[in-house]
Amino acid sequence: MKLEQKNWEDRKNDFCPLDLGLFQALERERVLEVLQRDKALRTIDADRVRRLRVELHGLCLQTSRIISRPFGQRSCARCQRVLGKFWDCGSVCCGCSHRICNRCQVVRSAHDWKCTVCHAYREFKIKSGEWFLEQQAKKFPSVKENSETTGDKMLQSYQRLSFIAVVPPTPPPFYNPPSFNRLEEHKKPFTKSMENLVASVSAHIKKLSKSQNDLSEVAGQLTVDHGHMMYSRRKSLSDGAINRALCKVPSLPILSTAQSTSTSTLCLTDDDVSSTSAYSDDQRDSNSSTGMDSVLFENTISVTGEIEVVLAYNNRTSCLEITIKACRNLMFRDTKKKCHPYVNVCLLPKKCHNFKMKTAVRKGKNPVYNETFTCVLSADLLSSAVLQLSVWHSRGLKRRLFLGETLIRLADMDLEDTDSQRSLCCKLNPKAPQLGGDAELQFTSVLLLIQAQFHTLPHNNTQTHGVLLGAPGQLTVLFTDVSKLLSVSKTAHFEGILCLPGHRELVRKTSALKKTDGSIRMSFSSLSQQELQQATLTLNLWEKNCLLTSARLHKESSWQHLQRMPGVWQEFNLQLQVVQT
Amino acid sequence: MFSSSSTMTDGDYDYLIKLLALGDSGVGKTTFLYRYTDNKFNPKFITTVGIDFREKRVVYTTNSPNGTTGKTFKVHLQLWDTAGQERFRSLTTAFFRDAMGFLLMFDLTSQQSFLNVRNWMSQLQANAYCENPDIVLVGNKADLADQREVQEKQAKELADKYGIPYFETSAATGSEVDKAVVTLLDLVMKRMEQCVEKPSADANTSDGSSKLSAAPAQQKKCAC
Repeated sequence: MKLEQKNWEDRKNDFCPLDLGLFQALERERVLEVLQRDKALRTIDADRVRRLRVELHGLCLQTSRIISRPFGQRSCARCQRVLGKFWDCGSVCCGCSHRICNRCQVVRSAHDWKCTVCHAYREFKIKSGEWFLEQQAKKFPSVKENSETTGDKMLQSYQRLSFIAVVPPTPPPFYNPPSFNRLEEHKKPFTKSMENLVASVSAHIKKLSKSQNDLSEVAGQLTVDHGHMMYSRRKSLSDGAINRALCKVPSLPILSTAQSTSTSTLCLTDDDVSSTSAYSDDQRDSNSSTGMDSVLFENTISVTGEIEVVLAYNNRTSCLEITIKACRNLMFRDTKKKCHPYVNVCLLPKKCHNFKMKTAVRKGKNPVYNETFTCVLSADLLSSAVLQLSVWHSRGLKRRLFLGETLIRLADMDLEDTDSQRSLCCKLNPKAPQLGGDAELQFTSVLLLIQAQFHTLPHNNTQTHGVLLGAPGQLTVLFTDVSKLLSVSKTAHFEGILCLPGHRELVRKTSALKKTDGSIRMSFSSLSQQELQQATLTLNLWEKNCLLTSARLHKESSWQHLQRMPGVWQEFNLQLQVVQT
Repeated sequence: MFSSSSTMTDGDYDYLIKLLALGDSGVGKTTFLYRYTDNKFNPKFITTVGIDFREKRVVYTTNSPNGTTGKTFKVHLQLWDTAGQERFRSLTTAFFRDAMGFLLMFDLTSQQSFLNVRNWMSQLQANAYCENPDIVLVGNKADLADQREVQEKQAKELADKYGIPYFETSAATGSEVDKAVVTLLDLVMKRMEQCVEKPSADANTSDGSSKLSAAPAQQKKCAC
């Protein structure tokens, strides 16, 4: 008997529960198999406990609605029914100390009853096994933080040994915190419900904040739209400004001096002969560009649409950059209602500039080109050049159809002073109208007699010879016998451009020819005789933004005589090529 | 009164009760549990390796004070089977902590297994979840009357001393097997209700009474 007792005491000392290494391999496998089965059963039970917890949670929420009551009026804490003061006044629950009506009480005996929430919580503790954990924690306080069972500990310790490959165990089921929290939950289920209610309110507040963020985004979109509208309005204003600038035509005062001079004899030089040859080439070129039938047809069709172009001048390379951007609102000339437009780009007068380009053929009434052409053009010729943009409808092998054209005077663009670009939106116009409408066209050469004189100011004549050379003077150009041009056009006018050294130009314009009585005078002042030695005079004949012809005085002997002998009238015979019926 | 359910793998039950059988090796623990769960008898003796458990789904009916039939609950029983050999003692005692009720078994044809009941009781008090767990004393192999060594009177006296029920069962014939387990289940269910209802002061009182009952036993031993 005593030996038996001693053996039992020795066995107590050998307690080492987590060590599976002492057993044989087969025994260890069998024990591990049992532990895995136990874990599976505990996983199923954990799911059941979780469902019980959810049900209890729902019941607490359902019975914890807060309804505002008048002060002093009592109601059931579970069903919110109004309670009387003398009868049907309810009772205070032993568990939660709330006032409960008779219908929400769960009666177990005459002196033992609980409210529905406390009763549900009690049932939850019994069915989930929490009662057992509480009792276990009383006896083993050191492990109250750890709710794992013995099987769990053995499985985890064995994984460290790793003698046999074992499937990793699933995480232990979630249990409540220590008994302190459990007791608190038991005593104050209403507090738990309040916490849930606060959580719901917080979620609702977050939703409101999110809605506010959506409003901010909408406001941002409105701001963006407003900016876009402002941009559109600004663009429209800019277009209007450009159009207004184009329509503006500067008017120059005409100095009229009654002074007649005698006429000298005509003399043709080699330069005049060269000029005649140039005119012949120009005539041939014009003939090829315009046909008899198209001329008749064009006279009866109105032209619509506009063209957008960007101009820039590079002073370093002396190049003029012309960018054809787009055309808009072109008309249909083809019977099939098709429009395949392209743009011809050339500089006028053609005698001076050998530049002619065309864009690619596009489709539609609003084609976009975005093509840039570069033309070598010296600065002194920039003011006298005119850009001609002609829009044509391409029909493949058939004759092309005219859609409209526009002429841009580069002198009005102020391209020399700055390297910046000028964006234009010009209206397309029909071709120059022909007088009478006759089918036959003739090119006639007209000799225009011009007299020019350079003289200094009268009060400076008494000065010495040295001072006389540096004194400012005035160049006067007299157009005589203008009646020869009236048969060509009644609204034509002359433009004179005097190019001086240092990229300085003097531009003058005359009034319409029909308003004059026979001669037109043009004066250039504020220039010295020394500057006159290197000057060049260009005379252009305009017909409503359409350049008819141009002449230049640069190397003629008469021009040189005028430069050397101030105060003496020199005569010039300009041969002008004009279209005449 | 009790009916077993075929479905065992789902979580459709109201209570999960963990019971554990302990006692010397060869007293019939594994055979007893096999009779209870599958209602079969395996005469061949196969020693248990370490630890094992069986499962059974039963329907538990509460007795209301009025005498009428109370509510019925589905109970999932997890019946742990331990090895009685000495070399597995350290492993099996570790599982005492997780059991809610205990079947303390001895062999009616073995006087030594009856004498070791006291030692098993000490192990229970040291390793179970509380000081006074629910225990049912089972004397197995009652069908072997001619080899009986422990008289019923002796066993009842020992059970009364500890205040626990006593049953003489036979795994071979199945007599009193269900009754023993049902009695233990009743004790555990009542323990649940009491633990949830009463405050902790009463638990201390019951613990004190348990200690008082243990003291006279020791005095008697000293007199011997």
